[in-house]
Amino acid sequence: MQKPLGDFIHVLREHGVPVSPAESLDAMQATRLIGIAQPQLLCSVLGMTLAKTQDHLLVLEALFDQFFQRNDLVILDNQDEAHEEMSSTDTPETTEAQSSEDDPPTPNNNDAQTAAADASPLGQQLMDNEQAALSVAIAAAGAQTGVQKMQAITQQSQVAYRIMQEIGGQALSQELLELSEMPDQATRFNELKRRQQQLQQQVREYVEQQYLLFTLPKGQQLRTKNLQRVKLTNVDHHYQAQMGQLIQKAAKKLASMHSRRRKVSKRGILDVRRTIAANAAYDGLLFHTKWKTTRIERPKVLVLCDVSGSVSRVARFLLLFLHSLQDVLPKVRSFVFASDLGEVTELFERLPVEDALAEIMQQWANRPTDYGRALEDFKRLALDDLDPKTTVIMLGDARNNQSDGRTDIWQQVYQRSQRVLWLNPEGRFSWDSGDSIMGEYAPYCSKVEPCNSLNDINRILNSLLKHG
Amino acid sequence: MIIRHADKIQSPQRIQQSFETLGYICSDSIATAVYLACQLQKPILIEGPPGVGKTELAKKTAEYLNAELIRMQCYEGLDEAKALYEWKYGKQLLYTQLLKDQLGDVMRGAKGLDESVSRLHQFGDIFYSEEFLETRPLLQALKSEDGAILLIDEIDKADQEFEAFLLEMLSDYQVSIPEIGTIKAKSKPIVMLTSNNTRELGDALKRRCLHLYIPFPEPELEQRIISSQVPELKADLREQLVNFVAELRELSLKKTPAVSETIDWARALVLLNTEELDRDFVEKTLNLLLKFQEDIEQVTPEIHQLLSDSKSSLRRRAKKS
Repeated sequence: MQKPLGDFIHVLREHGVPVSPAESLDAMQATRLIGIAQPQLLCSVLGMTLAKTQDHLLVLEALFDQFFQRNDLVILDNQDEAHEEMSSTDTPETTEAQSSEDDPPTPNNNDAQTAAADASPLGQQLMDNEQAALSVAIAAAGAQTGVQKMQAITQQSQVAYRIMQEIGGQALSQELLELSEMPDQATRFNELKRRQQQLQQQVREYVEQQYLLFTLPKGQQLRTKNLQRVKLTNVDHHYQAQMGQLIQKAAKKLASMHSRRRKVSKRGILDVRRTIAANAAYDGLLFHTKWKTTRIERPKVLVLCDVSGSVSRVARFLLLFLHSLQDVLPKVRSFVFASDLGEVTELFERLPVEDALAEIMQQWANRPTDYGRALEDFKRLALDDLDPKTTVIMLGDARNNQSDGRTDIWQQVYQRSQRVLWLNPEGRFSWDSGDSIMGEYAPYCSKVEPCNSLNDINRILNSLLKHG
Repeated sequence: MIIRHADKIQSPQRIQQSFETLGYICSDSIATAVYLACQLQKPILIEGPPGVGKTELAKKTAEYLNAELIRMQCYEGLDEAKALYEWKYGKQLLYTQLLKDQLGDVMRGAKGLDESVSRLHQFGDIFYSEEFLETRPLLQALKSEDGAILLIDEIDKADQEFEAFLLEMLSDYQVSIPEIGTIKAKSKPIVMLTSNNTRELGDALKRRCLHLYIPFPEPELEQRIISSQVPELKADLREQLVNFVAELRELSLKKTPAVSETIDWARALVLLNTEELDRDFVEKTLNLLLKFQEDIEQVTPEIHQLLSDSKSSLRRRAKKS
């Protein structure tokens, strides 16, 4: 029972259910208690011990059906019985010894056997319809040929062939050949032929199932890892949904990290020095108490996003990220522009984030960029609201189509606010090339950073929350 | 936990049947969870929407095993002093006042501060002994001779720090009190934690527990629950009522009616001698099922439709059988 359960846990981990060794031990103990006679019960027990959220439970139930099919449970039963019968030490070798007994001997012996008797062991098993023994043999052969280590889908047929060989397919073919030469054995020949095809089908299905269980999720894991690093401007449309999930996850992590810090800031210990000082006037009687507290301000954030052309993709993700941070950043005001600038904060409040983004892209994007005009609008809308606690984030490539960039307004913004971050989706090397006027704005920014991957956004927002 | 009758927790089926006689109708997975918790001595973390009988499960388990139920309600700001122990400050003060004269006698004749202090040391930490310890639920559960059922209700309402503090208790069944030392459980209590999922619990806590999710019951199960709780209700009316509530749960409401609300409603039906679910009755008593005015306003215009739906599903089933 240990091996299949271990495999199952391995598969769970591959599919993103985090199972700790302690939980595996629990599952093992629980399985020992309730036995494996009732698959339904086994499934719910494994669910209780291994899956700790609703999502994970769903994954587990789906995998359980795939992994422990009816036959497999029979195998487990057989193996357990085998262990009891052998009643020797409980080492893996016992299982192997047992299964190799089930297996036909090597082809060399086989030839002699087929010559003497008329049936190969595999043929005999097929005719006797020993499904359980066959499943055991296939699983054992699969383990030997390394079915769990397949790398690509193209390997399937090769592995299936090797498994057939391992369980004695050659001897079976030999027998079929001999039978085909004997006219009186025609019915037996046909029957055996049919069963051989069935068996091949069974082996192929087994291999495919194993591929789905073990190999496929590895690729997916790799993909999520890469998606975090990949340039946002290059993310294929196909993966955007997946990106959305990743962003939600990262935002949740940031939010929980920083909301915890805020809670700590509410508590404090007595500040003895300041208390004594404050009470000197009362003849040293400690009348007013002073407390040590750490103050963490909620940063007031204004974000300006260029939504034209290539920047729009990064803008999408930045806005999505910012508005997923509602818990810790309740005071985000968002502005978007291509040539005209408009405030879209209210849009995010009214609509779900995805819909709001779609609306913004439709309404504001696809116009030639004009930073000067956008900054004039910004001055009119929000310049008076800037105070020394405000952080302004600008996301844009500073490509201004040769017109006046109105750096004077940007200078005012810089003077009035606490910090000004300029995030540029282009790499440092392409700044100031062509119509980019990054160099003109750069003196009036606290920091200019390239920002073109999820990891970048995550890092920048983290530092924003820390120092805000 | 010392269980006097080991056969009581022999199998999940046995537990399920016995719970039924106690008036708690439960699904297979609930019974299995209780069975595993007793056998493996592990805490259970019970999640699910409000009103599906999470707290009730702990109560019934205590009743079934004849064990003491110790309940701790969690809330924001709950700390060790309220969950584990506190010193009886009042008693300590009172005793020092009363013993002042005694102390004077003891100290008489002592020369200098050093000698006085060393004399005081001879008496040990009287004021910080178990005599002056006020036990709170967690400590109570550990000190219980036969083991108890410890219900930690709505753990998601407590702070993250408190959750971390629980870890030692849940895995080793022991707690540390600085003045006294580590206190180990006399016999391990069965711990049940409930959560309404208002906040994601830490992985460390989840790892130490068996996880049980109680969803809204299937209509068949809910009917059995109603028939055990409100046996006076007629069978066809009961079926219609359960179907109606099931239809309600399909709507997107602020607060979906749970089992406890269905039971309340069934009681109201019996009390008002209602023969059939009609629009008039439903409109009058909707506030038993729905707890938000917005929900009531949303449902009221659709009552007619919902009623006919629940009736038609009744008829469909009748045809089938």
